[in-house]
Amino acid sequence: MTRTSAPAVVRLERLTKQFRSPEGRPVMAVDDVSLEFSGGTFVTLLGPSGCGKTTTLRMIAGFETPTSGRILVDGADVSRRTPDKREMGMVFQSYALFPHLTVFENVAYGLRLRRRSGAALREAVDRTLELVGLTGLGRRRPSELSGGQQQRVALARAMAIEPRVLLFDEPLSNLDAKLRVSLRAEIRRIQQTLGITSVYVTHDQSEAMALSDVVVVMNAGRVEQSGPPDDVYRRPATRFVADFIGRANFVDTRVLGMSDGHAEVDLFGQRVRVPAAPGVSGAGPATVVVRPESIRVGVGELQAVVRRSTFLGPMAEYELEAGGQLLAAVDPDWMGRGLHDPGEQVAWSLRSEQGYVLPPGTSEELPPEELEGEG
Amino acid sequence: MTTTAPAALEPLEPAAKRRRRAIDPAMAIALALAVAFVMIAIVWPIVAMVGTSLSPEAFPVFERYTVGPQGQILVNTVILGISVAAVGTLIGFLFAYVQVRVPLPRRLKQGMHVLALLPIVSPPFALALAAIVLFGRAGIITRDLLGIDFNIYGLHGMVLVMSLSFFPVAYISLSGLMRALDPALDEAATGLGASRWRTFRTVTFPLLLPGLASGFLLLFVEALADLGNPIVLGGNFQVLASRMYLAIIGQYDVLGGAVLGILLLVPSLIVYFVHRYYAERASVVSVTGKPSGRPAELTHRPTAFVLTALVLAICALIVLMYGTIVFGAFTNLVGVDNTLTTKNFEFVLFGYGLEAVSDTVLLAGIATPLAGLLGVVVAFLVVRGRFWGRGALDFGTMLGVAVPGTVFGIGYLLSFNTPVEIGGLTIIPKLTGGAGLLGGAVAIVLVYIVRSVPGGLRTGAAALQQIDPTIEEASVSLGADQATTFRRVVLPLIRPAFLTGLIYSFARSMTAISAIIFLTTPQTRIMTQQILNETNAARFGNALAYCVLLIVIVVAAIGVLYAVIGSSTRTERAADASTAVGGI
Repeated sequence: MTRTSAPAVVRLERLTKQFRSPEGRPVMAVDDVSLEFSGGTFVTLLGPSGCGKTTTLRMIAGFETPTSGRILVDGADVSRRTPDKREMGMVFQSYALFPHLTVFENVAYGLRLRRRSGAALREAVDRTLELVGLTGLGRRRPSELSGGQQQRVALARAMAIEPRVLLFDEPLSNLDAKLRVSLRAEIRRIQQTLGITSVYVTHDQSEAMALSDVVVVMNAGRVEQSGPPDDVYRRPATRFVADFIGRANFVDTRVLGMSDGHAEVDLFGQRVRVPAAPGVSGAGPATVVVRPESIRVGVGELQAVVRRSTFLGPMAEYELEAGGQLLAAVDPDWMGRGLHDPGEQVAWSLRSEQGYVLPPGTSEELPPEELEGEG
Repeated sequence: MTTTAPAALEPLEPAAKRRRRAIDPAMAIALALAVAFVMIAIVWPIVAMVGTSLSPEAFPVFERYTVGPQGQILVNTVILGISVAAVGTLIGFLFAYVQVRVPLPRRLKQGMHVLALLPIVSPPFALALAAIVLFGRAGIITRDLLGIDFNIYGLHGMVLVMSLSFFPVAYISLSGLMRALDPALDEAATGLGASRWRTFRTVTFPLLLPGLASGFLLLFVEALADLGNPIVLGGNFQVLASRMYLAIIGQYDVLGGAVLGILLLVPSLIVYFVHRYYAERASVVSVTGKPSGRPAELTHRPTAFVLTALVLAICALIVLMYGTIVFGAFTNLVGVDNTLTTKNFEFVLFGYGLEAVSDTVLLAGIATPLAGLLGVVVAFLVVRGRFWGRGALDFGTMLGVAVPGTVFGIGYLLSFNTPVEIGGLTIIPKLTGGAGLLGGAVAIVLVYIVRSVPGGLRTGAAALQQIDPTIEEASVSLGADQATTFRRVVLPLIRPAFLTGLIYSFARSMTAISAIIFLTTPQTRIMTQQILNETNAARFGNALAYCVLLIVIVVAAIGVLYAVIGSSTRTERAADASTAVGGI
């Protein structure tokens, strides 16, 4: 399957979707979202349930009509086009295979609608089945396949029509953990082979990290941050993003001075330099994000009391009390040091270059209420 | 933010449940056709009848049938409705309880099941004829065997026959409900120390109550609307439906008929929609109460024995009555001259009756696929579509069963007896009467469809609700429009329900009497109406031969439909049959 045209560029312009709550009150499911996905990128919409990610995806697919705003594919406005005219392949959470058709006919469905038949059709279907590793299973019914195989059929069916854009609606959430990991690697491999612009919805941050070129973190209908996964992890734009992606300790302190993108702050009585978000000013209150893995347990001149100790296998997880604050910390080197028990006094230190000073005005408390069931 | 006023906000539903969509142009055509059908064939005739009955001349007629000398008819109708509903629901409950809860050999249960369903496929007064032959003034049992002078005509005769005719509806919905009840509930009650009787009284029965109420109300409506049995068995006990028949056929009094029609219409509608409310409550129980095992069996032997004996006695009565029908069809005058003969069948198959048989089969055969298709299309629109007036379309279509058949008969006479013209252009030609389009056949087909579509709608809707809407979204995203999706994905998936809808349509059309009795013409003769004529002329042999033939045709047609469309499993069939009849 070689693509003839260049991968599609998808633009969302001030996309908004309002629903009516059961009491008749308008609810903003998607609130003024503007994004651009360049051709061939794998974009993940990530957020808790009710953040508007699925609604955004369904608007791109055409199953929801935007209340306002536009969706552009290669510059053409598709917002008012019905889903059957959008040339987008969609992979559903529930697989949504046609139970009355064989695997072959499921994959052939979209091609038959495009008037393909005979040898050309057979060849195209076989090639797609090969790509997802289902060669030889064409005559089976969906009910005769395992969950992982069913999702491969769904993927093959969506790809067979050589869509401009591939859309994924939490496609792995019905599978067990091991299968999820292997299938997501495969989705990434196939997407890179074909170079199709893809939009993927998930609430699983590790899935988003593993798959994407670009992660879009959404909360309460709005985009909190978008960027490459490592960048979003390292430099979260808001307290919400820092907390939702990975785990984070938030230390409230004061900025004492700024120099070349770093802030000088007071952390636990030490004056240290920490990378800072653009917009952090020379003096004033600030919140520093400290990842648990940036805390070294057992080494250093700082002192803390172990409040809780959880053994996880590859690492030990602690809750430390230092300077009147509780800090989450992990120790991957517990085998060398041994486990610490609650109540024990431990030495610790901070890899301050791994911290990050949040931009001002973004450290309010976490999401208001969640919209029930909306993903 | 762009501030285009949100025109119509969609309700916030969980993504998984968000299944309604705006309809595309192809489905819009289907919607327009469905709406046109509902407006012309269902709503207009009802409005015409209501309009006529509200004219100033109608006032004294109202007085006559309510507070006036004939007010007794109204009282009689209510008495009959309540009696039949009570007895029929009780029999239905008895059959369902024994079927689901009493341990009996499988073959015996299957036999009971078939006997309980037999009345559905038989013509409306087959049992009434059998009752007259067996228990009438010259009855085989009452006079010849017991030597008593017994009068079957009247309320008691009607209650006997109508309860036996209508109980299957209650039986099917109640047995479905009982199977769906979580046996863990019974076990929980027993585990807490409740006795069997207390468990039944405090757990099982309250959970079945919505089902019982729904069955009772449905039977009440059926009893109110029934025309055949009151004519044949009513005697001096006049009810609204039989009085309507007299008004139209005997006295050509359309105004009187319309007034009686509205007296029948109002309670039927109210009770029907109360029934729907209960039926939905009952189905909530069946959906949430996921069965976690086999239903608890009744282990108290004396109780099981008594219940089984009662059911077997009723089964015996049903066998006896149908045996009488078959036997009577082969005799000169059953009970009086029991000489075996085939002349009755010669009459209906090769003589005068042939035309009625072929006309009926032809018209029902035309109506069946149309009604079946319309039913699933409306179901698709109502369950999946998002458009203004969705509820009204559902409601309007369901009026086809909620409104008594006689009301449609009079409504059609009032609406389609003259051509409908707009600006001198004939939009709808005269449909009713011998001079009507195709000898009045078009009107009859329309009525058949009107009466059958609700069955297809409910089975189709129930089946659609079981289908994950993302399957249809997958089809659409692959490039299929809604019409293609409907044809290639939805229809194959709901095929069992579609088949049930077809069977329901055919059986209902073949056995229809009240809706078409005013619409048959010399050119278009219908079997059920011929049965009535032969009965009134005391030619029981011919009437019973028609009945036997009609049952044979319906059963054969069901077989053919299964052979052509169905390869569904037995369980699917059972499930569909119950949604078909129980859901109405």
